[in-house]
Amino acid sequence: MPSARMNVFSIVFGVAYMGLFFWSERYHTALFRYYPVLKSFSREDLPLEEAGPAILWYSWLFGAAVISSVAALIVPRSMAERIGQVWVWGVPAALLIVIIVYERRWFY
Amino acid sequence: MIQVLLVLHVLVGAALLGAITHQSFSVARRPTAPGRSFVDRFRGVNSPTFTNVTVLLFFANVVLGGLLYPQYRVEVRPTLEDLQLRAANGVFETKEHFAAVAFGLLPAYWLAWRPPLLPARADTRKYLTWILAFVAWWSFVVGELLNNIKGLFP
Repeated sequence: MPSARMNVFSIVFGVAYMGLFFWSERYHTALFRYYPVLKSFSREDLPLEEAGPAILWYSWLFGAAVISSVAALIVPRSMAERIGQVWVWGVPAALLIVIIVYERRWFY
Repeated sequence: MIQVLLVLHVLVGAALLGAITHQSFSVARRPTAPGRSFVDRFRGVNSPTFTNVTVLLFFANVVLGGLLYPQYRVEVRPTLEDLQLRAANGVFETKEHFAAVAFGLLPAYWLAWRPPLLPARADTRKYLTWILAFVAWWSFVVGELLNNIKGLFP
């Protein structure tokens, strides 16, 4: 049954994704990493010479999906329906700006 | 196999651009009378009909991008680093983050376009559609740029 909980999922997903990304950037850690050369997942940060490059993107997506699903389930429906519509598009729009500001480091 | 996935990724991306661009134009301004120009006709579509196909194509393309990502990480990114193309790496970083945020928006987007189209959700429909359109266009252009980078920067 479609409900305003879908809005909760969408708002929390972007925030959780960016939170996990910045957590990885700050502390050089992740829920898990995928090593394409080894074709395997690992929770450890394996040496580049042995394991090749790691992909963290999957872990940010997975973590955001879990966090936002839980948030959408536990937030009462009445509370979800009171969330202003501006939050639904305003939060992701703000996140896109945060991404642009943070990733401008590549262009200098 | 990778080449097949890459072609499929491009084709799904092109179809997504068609659907989301139509819808983006249609929510930009409500025409007062049937238009005769190309833009008016392009905009004068039945917007809600594009919603399900946009969700399906966006979802499919994120999955296809995820399947292609290991090949990019092992073969393309080291090449970009060897060529010292930092900006190319940067635009891909933005692409992956934009795509992730937009991927999470799909439930809200679908809900906003679900009939009846409540006037209270008009701004939400418009801005979510524009955000998805921006991300779809950015991702497509960046993907094509990186796919052809050896020709662009020999």
